[in-house]
Amino acid sequence: MDLARRDLIKAQAAAAAAAAANIALPALAQNVPTGDALRLKWDKAPCRFCGTGCGVMVATREGRVVATHGDMRAEVNRGLNCVKGYFLSKIMYGSDRLTQPLMRMRNGQFAKDGELQPVSWDRAFDTMAAHWKRVLREKGPDAIGMFGSGQWTMFEGYAATKLMRGGFRSNNLDPNARHCMASAAVTFIRTFGSDEPMGCYDDFEHADAFVLWGSNMAEMHPILWTRVTDRRLSATHVRIHTLSTYEHRTTDLSDASIIFRPGTDLVILNYIANHIIQSGAVNRTFVDRHTTFRLANTDIGYGLRPEHTLEQRAQHANDAAVSQPADFDAYARLMSEYTLDRAHQVSGVPKPQLEALARLYADPKTKVMSLWTMGMNQHVRGVWANHMIYNIHLLTGKISEPGNSPFSLTGQPSACGTAREVGCFAHRLPADMQVTNAEHRKTAEEIWKLPSGLLPSKVGYHAVLQDRMLKDGKLNAYWIMCNNNLQTAANTNNETYPGYRNPENLVVCSDAYPTVTTMAADIVLPVAMWVEKEGAYGNAERRTQFWRQLVDAPGEARSDLWQLMEFSKRFTTDEVWPAEILDKAPEYRGRTLFDVLYRNGQVDAHPVSELHPGYNNHEARHFGFYVHKGMWAEFKRFGDHHGHDYAEFDTYHEVRGLRWPVVNGKETLWRYREGLDPYVEAGSGVQFYGNPNKRANIVGAPYEPPAEAPDAEYDMWLVTGRVLEHWHSGSMTLRVPELYRAFPGAILYMHPEDAQAKGLRRGQEVRIISRRGEIRSRVEVRGRNRVPRGLVYVPFFDASQLINKVTLDATDPISKQTDFKKCAVKVVAVGVPVTPASAGAPADRRAGPRQ
Amino acid sequence: MSATQDTGPRAEPARPRGRVARLLGWIGRLPVVRTALRPARHLSLAFLTLGGFLGGVVFWGGFNTALEYTNTTEFCVGCHEMQANVFQELQGTIHHVNRSGVRAGCPACHVPHDWTDKIARKMQASKEVWGHIFGTISTRELFLEHRRTMAEREWARMEANDSLECRNCHTTEAMDLTKQNPRAASAHERFLFTGERTCIQCHRGIAHRLPDMRGVSGWQ
Amino acid sequence: MSPTRIVLAATAAFVLGAGALLAQDAPRLRGPQPFPAEQPAPPVPRDVTNDVRVRRNYPDQPPLIPHAIEGYALDLNANKCMTCHARQFTEQSQAPMISVTHYQDRDGTTLGGLAPRRYACLACHVPQTEARPAVENRFRDMDALAEPERQPGGRGRH
Repeated sequence: MDLARRDLIKAQAAAAAAAAANIALPALAQNVPTGDALRLKWDKAPCRFCGTGCGVMVATREGRVVATHGDMRAEVNRGLNCVKGYFLSKIMYGSDRLTQPLMRMRNGQFAKDGELQPVSWDRAFDTMAAHWKRVLREKGPDAIGMFGSGQWTMFEGYAATKLMRGGFRSNNLDPNARHCMASAAVTFIRTFGSDEPMGCYDDFEHADAFVLWGSNMAEMHPILWTRVTDRRLSATHVRIHTLSTYEHRTTDLSDASIIFRPGTDLVILNYIANHIIQSGAVNRTFVDRHTTFRLANTDIGYGLRPEHTLEQRAQHANDAAVSQPADFDAYARLMSEYTLDRAHQVSGVPKPQLEALARLYADPKTKVMSLWTMGMNQHVRGVWANHMIYNIHLLTGKISEPGNSPFSLTGQPSACGTAREVGCFAHRLPADMQVTNAEHRKTAEEIWKLPSGLLPSKVGYHAVLQDRMLKDGKLNAYWIMCNNNLQTAANTNNETYPGYRNPENLVVCSDAYPTVTTMAADIVLPVAMWVEKEGAYGNAERRTQFWRQLVDAPGEARSDLWQLMEFSKRFTTDEVWPAEILDKAPEYRGRTLFDVLYRNGQVDAHPVSELHPGYNNHEARHFGFYVHKGMWAEFKRFGDHHGHDYAEFDTYHEVRGLRWPVVNGKETLWRYREGLDPYVEAGSGVQFYGNPNKRANIVGAPYEPPAEAPDAEYDMWLVTGRVLEHWHSGSMTLRVPELYRAFPGAILYMHPEDAQAKGLRRGQEVRIISRRGEIRSRVEVRGRNRVPRGLVYVPFFDASQLINKVTLDATDPISKQTDFKKCAVKVVAVGVPVTPASAGAPADRRAGPRQ
Repeated sequence: MSATQDTGPRAEPARPRGRVARLLGWIGRLPVVRTALRPARHLSLAFLTLGGFLGGVVFWGGFNTALEYTNTTEFCVGCHEMQANVFQELQGTIHHVNRSGVRAGCPACHVPHDWTDKIARKMQASKEVWGHIFGTISTRELFLEHRRTMAEREWARMEANDSLECRNCHTTEAMDLTKQNPRAASAHERFLFTGERTCIQCHRGIAHRLPDMRGVSGWQ
Repeated sequence: MSPTRIVLAATAAFVLGAGALLAQDAPRLRGPQPFPAEQPAPPVPRDVTNDVRVRRNYPDQPPLIPHAIEGYALDLNANKCMTCHARQFTEQSQAPMISVTHYQDRDGTTLGGLAPRRYACLACHVPQTEARPAVENRFRDMDALAEPERQPGGRGRH
């Protein structure tokens, strides 16, 4: 038994260390624990943080997590964790953990303008249900919404999508993953007809070159970065080219650090395509057999409110997603505009760097792995940018084989598993199906055993639209789960906060800790987190990973799964479904949503006796059936036999995750390639079988500028993002003292010459001002990020420096993902009169003190 | 100039010398030079002495001002190579921005403060002018290619003069170990005060990013 | 108000108020109150540079860096950390040697030096500032659970 041996080795090591330490004081030796006192219970779980999906071993004792370390047997990370992962043990133990439902009250009654006070679960749910029912009655399902999460377990996402679509008949369900990788998800479907990468992490060990597009992996995906650097430092021919708008820890370890002007990555990508075409590097056999060409509609606007000038002016703001059939020549003609000279002029990147990069992609002997995250996805042309990367890989045939891999990294731990595979987007159903497709809705109704015609066909409100509809009073019953959207939504003070405090709306927020969002909500529900519940996450390489409940949640904290299912008990079909549907299917009358959604003979098919005896499972004990196991069996049916197959429930509790499709017990590492993917027909070589014609789409698109750019008044680009130590809004990591002290607050990264020109010093307090709002921060001219002149970088984890009060709520018009990377700001000192740059004091000229 | 460019830096010495000789001959034949070289006939010795002195003062002032101008960071970063590479890196360091606002510019560390050494260094600098004109490090790639050579030259210079430029500001006599962090205090006590090491041996890359350090003593 | 209610209210007051009582920078966790209010930015805290080793929460926790690392090279050219923490330099530096796990590659083979996958030291090891955490953390380590009386004054407990 591995674990026992491991424990033994640890015990020996501890004893040896203690013995060594105690040589001088032998009397203390009796204090060294022995035998059972040393024993810890070790279990596997995926990390709670990013989309990498590292395996973690978790030690528990007396109902508490006492240690964690990287799982040696996890393929993803083989024993490594990043600093956040190594401190997972402490994320559940912040002293301000929420343990009771809270509700805004005055004089013992619910009051929107009251103070948050503790209430019972029943009281909270009753208040919610009354409001939900009133809104449904008065306004219908369109006025009900839910903002979910790529941090939900797959079971929680599945329960939510059933409750919202099948229960309340509303598609106003969207995950925070919308802010994170909607551009990637949408482009996968548009290009390959199937979401998620064709390759996997094994590509890291096979590639000859890595090209990073808008990804600071060293901080944001540190463990995947160890695999990249491992390859780079182990094989001398390997090269890393990193494209970014500023220098950071990733460029420090890159061979080429390519710094371009914000938004001009589109020009560079098209230049590379043009280079491939002009230099004869197009793999004609591959292109002729496996691709079709399309040209995107252009001038598509910026996803702002329709009355905004930029939307009024845009020719195709309303049909941004449409593309026209084309051929190679038409595509090549469009690309021919993107010459080396133009790419250099627009992007500001030196020509030798551009040429070297293009040659890398064009060389048939160099296996290239392209990696990208938020720089590409949080982009007003994020879908186009994603297309352009695929275009390059498809033109050269460098795809779907070890080392040749366009690979989209994800931010949320289950952005893939929950948000995408389970289908928590406003337009999606499980297994890549769409709410607008009648066939898909029919399949879902059959699998869910719901009456025909029940599921709504209208695409719901996406994340940014939900905020606008809340503000406009069109969305009135709103449940936020497992995210901190008031902190992380763009232009939050103007577009998000007013909706939360709109007197017509009831806003509920479920979280483990008090956050900016809970503080602005009307009802706050305490949540069981991570290993306080059984769960499943799907990572960026299609790997599905399960974990068991290892400890109990504190106080009355309950999992989101419990909350969703328990809330569904408060509604009957007669209250929420239209009479004409019930008339046709009278057997559904008089039953609760809980009955029809979760006690449907499928979700409740597995008795509590099937639980593993060594572990508690709060939901199973409470509801009287093994919820997770039943849900998995039902969900699994969506993907079986068409490229999304999963293994059986129990298997996942044994293995360190499996990459779907799992066919005959075997996972699939590379999709679409004969011999590697069981769905590809013999003799075809490559089949992009997600599309009916089994071909991938090469979609040509031009360069279009960002929604806002610096001008004379707002003279700096603002880029926002993360830091290594804090995961997103910091709601968990800021409660870990070691992580807090490592990076306690946001700072404004600025070029020293800009600081000097503005009369600012390192550490000085400044206002960062945009047309939307302003915050105060402190200047940093050193440190891990080196920004070019004219650009500043501010992380968004700090709730006291809400940079999203400053950002612009422009989105990609196709994916509806917000662009947090490009808007215009000015930076002025707090409390010091503003002096124009030209009037710099004589002291400022001391850049060159005379010696 | 273009002729020189064709022959390049490794041209055989004969031709330049021939050209220098010709140039000197030409200067000597200029009327104003010939007058200047002729002995004085009408001026008093006192006038000549005083005039020579004053002229000397004016000349010396001008020379020194010009020299001092070349000794500013402003002058150094006037060249693209310095501005785009080393100066960008300097700005992120403690020698540029720090607690008390004392700032070390380029010459503080790269030009000796003692007059004769300074003139020697200035004469050496003609090589840098050459490098600038011929674009030895005109691109980022070329700069990175030459970084190790250039860094080694500075390390060697400072090891040879016992880190003189560091010590112009940081004297060991004036150090207060109680104000240093324990690690620095202990290292200074063991290696610096004993003379076992000189500043630059531990503080490489303190103002600029480092070149490839493979093979450098103390590095992996 | 029933006694239960009072207890509940008191608990909630504690739950919501505990952080604020403990430190001034709770806005870092919960934002300005009310949300649209302007929030001053506190001074940037200094780095901890005392070189005092910090006890680990559990054996596999990467040790924290008790000194400043500002300006230290960690790029393809140079790794400043290794000039003190590499095996061959620890005698003169008196710094802790990198752990033996750092000599193993992805397949568990022990190499002659720092494994390339461990090159980016700062992914796991972080320096600290003097900032005071906004809320207490009630994690208790394995020793605290096994033998609480061995714990130094209150650390790891509340």
